[in-house]
Amino acid sequence: MDTKYIRNFSIVAHIDHGKSTLADRMLELTGTITAREAKEQLLDDMDIERERGITIKASAVTMHYEYEGQTYMLNLIDTPGHVDFHYEVSRALAACEGALLVVDASQGVEAQTVANAYLAVETGVEIMGVINKVDLPAAQPEVVAEEIEHVLGIRRNECFAISAKTGKGVRELLDAICELLPAPADRSSEPARALVFDSHSDPYRGVICYVRVFSGKLRVRQRMRLMHTGRSYLITELGKFRPAMTPVEELGTGEVGYIVANIRDLADVHVGDTVTDDANPAQDPLKSYQPPMQMVFSDFYPGDNTEYSKLRAAFEKLALNDASFSFVPQNSPALGFGFRCGFLGLLHMEIIQERLERENDIDIVQTAPTVSYEVIMSDGQVRRIGSPSELPDRTHIQELREPFVRLEIITSTESIGGIMKLAEARRCKLVKTDYLNPTRVMMEYRAPLAEIVYDFYDQIKGISRGYATMDYELTDFEATNLVRIDILVNGQPVDALSIIVHRDNAEQRGRKLILKLKKAIPRHQFEVPLQVAIGGKIIARETVKAYRKDVTAKLYGGDVTRKMKVLKKQKEGKRRMKSIGSVQIPQKAFMSILDTSD
Amino acid sequence: MSPHSAPSDDEAPGLYLHVPFCASKCGYCGFYSQPTAGRDMHRLVTALLTEVRRHHATPAVRTIYIGGGSPTSLPVDLLARLVETVASAWPDAREFTVECNPGQAGVEMLSVLARCGVNRLSFGVQSFHAGELELLGRRHSVDDALRSVRQAQDLGFANVGIDLIFAVPGSTLDSWQQCLESALSLGIQHISAYSLSFEPGTPLYEARRLGRIDSVEEDTDRAMYELAIDLLAAAGLAQYEISNFAREGFECRHNMGCWENRPYIGIGPSAASYWLGERTANVADIDAYIRRIEAGLTATEQRQQPNHDDCICETAVLNLRTRRGVDPADFQRRTGADFRKVFAASLHRHERDGLVETQAGRIRLARRALAVADSVLCDFSSL
Ligand SMILES: Nc1nc2c(ncn2[C@@H]2O[C@H](COP(=O)(O)OP(=O)(O)O)[C@@H](O)[C@H]2O)c(=O)[nH]1
Ligand code: SF4
Ligand SMILES: [Mg+2]
Repeated sequence: MDTKYIRNFSIVAHIDHGKSTLADRMLELTGTITAREAKEQLLDDMDIERERGITIKASAVTMHYEYEGQTYMLNLIDTPGHVDFHYEVSRALAACEGALLVVDASQGVEAQTVANAYLAVETGVEIMGVINKVDLPAAQPEVVAEEIEHVLGIRRNECFAISAKTGKGVRELLDAICELLPAPADRSSEPARALVFDSHSDPYRGVICYVRVFSGKLRVRQRMRLMHTGRSYLITELGKFRPAMTPVEELGTGEVGYIVANIRDLADVHVGDTVTDDANPAQDPLKSYQPPMQMVFSDFYPGDNTEYSKLRAAFEKLALNDASFSFVPQNSPALGFGFRCGFLGLLHMEIIQERLERENDIDIVQTAPTVSYEVIMSDGQVRRIGSPSELPDRTHIQELREPFVRLEIITSTESIGGIMKLAEARRCKLVKTDYLNPTRVMMEYRAPLAEIVYDFYDQIKGISRGYATMDYELTDFEATNLVRIDILVNGQPVDALSIIVHRDNAEQRGRKLILKLKKAIPRHQFEVPLQVAIGGKIIARETVKAYRKDVTAKLYGGDVTRKMKVLKKQKEGKRRMKSIGSVQIPQKAFMSILDTSD
Repeated sequence: MSPHSAPSDDEAPGLYLHVPFCASKCGYCGFYSQPTAGRDMHRLVTALLTEVRRHHATPAVRTIYIGGGSPTSLPVDLLARLVETVASAWPDAREFTVECNPGQAGVEMLSVLARCGVNRLSFGVQSFHAGELELLGRRHSVDDALRSVRQAQDLGFANVGIDLIFAVPGSTLDSWQQCLESALSLGIQHISAYSLSFEPGTPLYEARRLGRIDSVEEDTDRAMYELAIDLLAAAGLAQYEISNFAREGFECRHNMGCWENRPYIGIGPSAASYWLGERTANVADIDAYIRRIEAGLTATEQRQQPNHDDCICETAVLNLRTRRGVDPADFQRRTGADFRKVFAASLHRHERDGLVETQAGRIRLARRALAVADSVLCDFSSL
């Protein structure tokens, strides 16, 4: 098809502002699916995504639309809406020329709106402002248009007011996409180059690559080459998502579709890699994006050491469809054999954790998530560590750096005070404040990731009675005065309970932490002393008192069956615990160290 | 199939008879019993005897135990009929116990029991403090208890035991010590001492829930238990099970049978049996029980067939409650399993922590594990 009539675009939005609904309406209006099919939000295809109302994996769909007597090919590339998956938003945008930035007319610009707009600007795509839900009585399209202009620099009179729900304005929006968004550059005469913007593995067909062709074309039975790995494969099938996978003979410049090429292993396909013609390869690959940075790490141990290989198999299966998740064997002196897992963020971790539990019957003990740190060794060598226990001896460290993010918070003016106080306590530095209108403000902070990754969002939600939204993006690593807090249980250091914190807060955190642990560790038949050490010096101690009685006084003939049941239940209760020496530490104790509340 | 078999059919069972009546309900009682008022006790005893007769084919029973409820709440003639019939059916039973309530078992009743071959009495004394008896909702007085036990001894009963309850709200370590000393002054052979448990649905449980009474501090409860073990041992009543103490040779054989996981036959409403490899329980309703028996039906309501693993675990848990503990050879014979092998992981942990010990080849709970036995035994409750 002539590239003039192709439009590639994404929809980006703050969660719940109507991205999926708008996509459904477009699919319907273009006759790609029927209204009944649209009922189910088609683009969200995994259970957990649906339950959580978010889209994790980008997917793509091709629509045909008549505009001014011409048939246009519209390729909509879906993006995830959560901060953990910024990277996937970027790679979806990299396959597009345009983006629709959707804003809820009753909510206005939110933190993720801003973050998504930044990503779109960085990628260089054309942005169209879309104000959605104008059918709502609470809709204030003019106020929102003003916010969009003020914060995002998109002219208010160029925004489209629509209702994705009723369909109002959606046809006009489709017209505008054809009219206003740039067409792909016509590079059909150059050697083939296609960007792999996503992939997934299919049990029968091997790896399916999602591609956007930037130059030349791809044909079935052509030998293709992945430029990054240099490997070549025979293309056995090309196709488009309409939205079902529909085979085609070729994919031309500007088009979006999929490749099946008998690729066995998901690890062989790097998202961001360039596909070219093996016989007539391009000189240079397309500009690739940065690989995703794993920002959160956590160790997973089988509750029962004999289930180690079962856990490995479970992780292997999960990694098959999630290239951003990693796991490496880990041996903790206290907890035995397990895996250090890396995630894009906390939500990503929770999703993996949930799948792990849902799809496998393994008792898991998981350590508190931690961010990754940069250690500059005395010899100048730079090391990344994903666990406090990996921190080398102080004498070998020149500098310890922690990750910092640009944090945006949008909130109501009356909650500013409370949020600023919290942010300050979390070592965040205010960069600027910007009033979106007299009642709403956007604050930008430079924040240590470790301080905001865990419960910060919940806290600002609380302070603002649910009003505030936030988003963040990694900027750099910076040296700060960090120390490690170690915990000794029954005199034995437990590496998995260590945390790295700023020295100024260390003592206070240590004291709080040990109280939390005291609550989380069940009573044993003996006293369990708990100690907090900073730099080898004990700064606080507590004791989990021994329980003194736990015995059924009467057990005679009539009680045997019932009693056995009760004992079995008691034994069950000991699961999801890890023995450290003779002390049983439950899962919740590992997590309790992150709880900073009083 | 494994070489194990359920307790062999030729192993003589214990016989338990449940009399489901009490003069009135005690405030802490979770047993199946009904107030005697307006009850047709004659009809019930007839039904009990009918059920007894169904077991006449069982050539021998090791022990007989009539409990409740309160067997002594029956009129003397009815109790006599019950005891006589059972005694003549199995004259060779080595131990024949009847539970007695102080104040109910007078000289006449005790003489009948003696004449019929009852050789062991167990009195529900519970406490030697009037205030505690009242709080527990017992109908008898301290004097009733002292008198009943004396009378029994005077009539020649040489194997007399009493039940005591400790950690009653308001009690102290001192008051408990007095209680134990009073008990020892009776010159009895057996004491069962239980920490008061608050069973859901009982008046005492409600009272605690409403904040009218407080349970005794856990530390005190523990100290009371330890005191009982030491004080009774010093007086010649050695602990032989978590809650049971006896002079040498006076351990309750009937209950030992249960802890050795031997078979027993239960008769009467709610009574449980472990017989022919099955655990069963009779219907826990007097009227339903009578109806079924009179209609020639079985009174069994629940039925469960422990599999091999269940049998191994039940035997382990029950054996470990006793101070003799597990005899690996016995265990092997009874269950076909190697105790040390099947419970290797649990044993390793608890032996390391000093909660389980081996003495003269037998594996048992260490002294310090007794008060927290459930937290150890639960690890033997499944494989
Ligand atoms: N009233 C109204 N509700 C809408 C509109 N668009 C979406 N919604 C509702 O807003 C909620 C979030 O929509 P969804 O498309 O899932 O948002 P997403 O998280 O951005 O994908 C859903 O309950 C939709 O039904 C609209 O134009 N008007
Ligand atoms: S005498 Fe025994 S069985 Fe009867 S009510 Fe009192 S405690 Fe319960
Ligand atoms: Mg959605």
